[in-house]
Amino acid sequence: MTYTSFLVSEFLLIWRRKQDVINVLLFFIIAVTLFPIGVSSSPEFLASAAGGIIWCAAVLAILMAVEGMFKEDFRDGSLEQWVVSGLSLPALILLKVVAQWLAFLLPLLGIMPLLSEMLFLPESSFWVLIMTFLLGTPSLFLIGVIGAALTVSLRQGAMLVMLLILPFYLPVIIFSTLAIQAAEANLPYSGQLALLSAMSLLSLVISPFMTAIAIKASAS
Amino acid sequence: MNWTWFHKLGSPKWFFHRSKAWALPLFAVGCVGLIVGLIWGLVFAPADYQQGNSFRIIYMHVPVAMLAQSCYFALGVAGFVFLVWRMKIAPIFIKAMAPIGAVMALIALVSGAIWGKPTWGTWWVWDARLTSVLVLFFLYMGIIVLQKALDDQVLANKAVAVISVVGLINLPIIKYSVVLLETLHQGPTFTLTKKPEMPSEMWLPLLVCAICMYFLMAGLVLWRMQSEILKREYRSSWVREEVMKRGL
Repeated sequence: MTYTSFLVSEFLLIWRRKQDVINVLLFFIIAVTLFPIGVSSSPEFLASAAGGIIWCAAVLAILMAVEGMFKEDFRDGSLEQWVVSGLSLPALILLKVVAQWLAFLLPLLGIMPLLSEMLFLPESSFWVLIMTFLLGTPSLFLIGVIGAALTVSLRQGAMLVMLLILPFYLPVIIFSTLAIQAAEANLPYSGQLALLSAMSLLSLVISPFMTAIAIKASAS
Repeated sequence: MNWTWFHKLGSPKWFFHRSKAWALPLFAVGCVGLIVGLIWGLVFAPADYQQGNSFRIIYMHVPVAMLAQSCYFALGVAGFVFLVWRMKIAPIFIKAMAPIGAVMALIALVSGAIWGKPTWGTWWVWDARLTSVLVLFFLYMGIIVLQKALDDQVLANKAVAVISVVGLINLPIIKYSVVLLETLHQGPTFTLTKKPEMPSEMWLPLLVCAICMYFLMAGLVLWRMQSEILKREYRSSWVREEVMKRGL
């Protein structure tokens, strides 16, 4: 196993299990639809709440995607193979996160124009929304993966990961929605974007190593 | 500096014997002090010129809120100690401390709500400090739930250590991020650098309450740790000897 073969096999796995990505996307769309139906469908309300709605739905969808990330690897013994492969475990984890991030984020961004149109998001803040997604979601994936690794040996870990990880997602949601609100009010939003990237960088430093500890403990 | 005491902490036996005599006195001092402080604060301290008597809830609220935060800090440090030095006592400490911290955060939230009703006119606002204490409570619950869910002791130890460290790193970010939302709560009552802005008859009992709350909690944690050590080490000969000789 080399880093390249690992990455290629990860992409192949994602491609052959397209259903997982589609499920998460569908969940995301349904969760977004709940808000206009459940709260209010007036364009004024939706326009001001669109950023928050999309972000809340996306956070839940991403957590769904991340939660089961190592489940299959744990069951078929791949996790142990990673540990004994002689390659750096944090690097492998990082590669896997990158593959998953791309696999889920690109389709998510793909349906974003549709959803923002449905929620009457002002055109001026659409690109801000996209930018908050690009800068903020790495942090979501990297933090979520710690929870996934900690609960990998449990049969029913999904709820537990939600409980563990959702509080950590709070800052990302706050800064993203603040950036979108600032853009709607014609205020500068570069500060919030910088904070989002700072958080992603910080999780990039911490998460692979913490996840590696958790995986080593779970695999043995 | 001599670090042998630190390495000795790794031995549950050493810790058990050393801490055995400490739990009860700490708890008793804390209890008595807290009762004295509370009576002093609730009965003898002057009423606030603006808030009247409702301000007196700070004698409960502030010590508990301080503890809720310090407990989480301690958890994070213990998690770090476990990940670096693999000290056996650290996960025991986390397991003993987490429920206490959760209760402290909950009491802080409830007492704050009770105080908020007459003062702000509402039980709850989405204010920075309230939200961050609420999140703190969620973080505690996460640790407790994770600890309960994992049956494998070795894995559970690692897992709670990892999540405590991650929580400690993230807590300042969470606190800072909610500060960006609107804030209604006043600044901290005690800071290390400034004299408190209220008269001494008011803050002295508060100080007594806060310090004694720490004592009370230290005693409780030691007790919980000792019973956890006995549970985990029940196979070893020193535990059998301990139980046979002295009883429990």
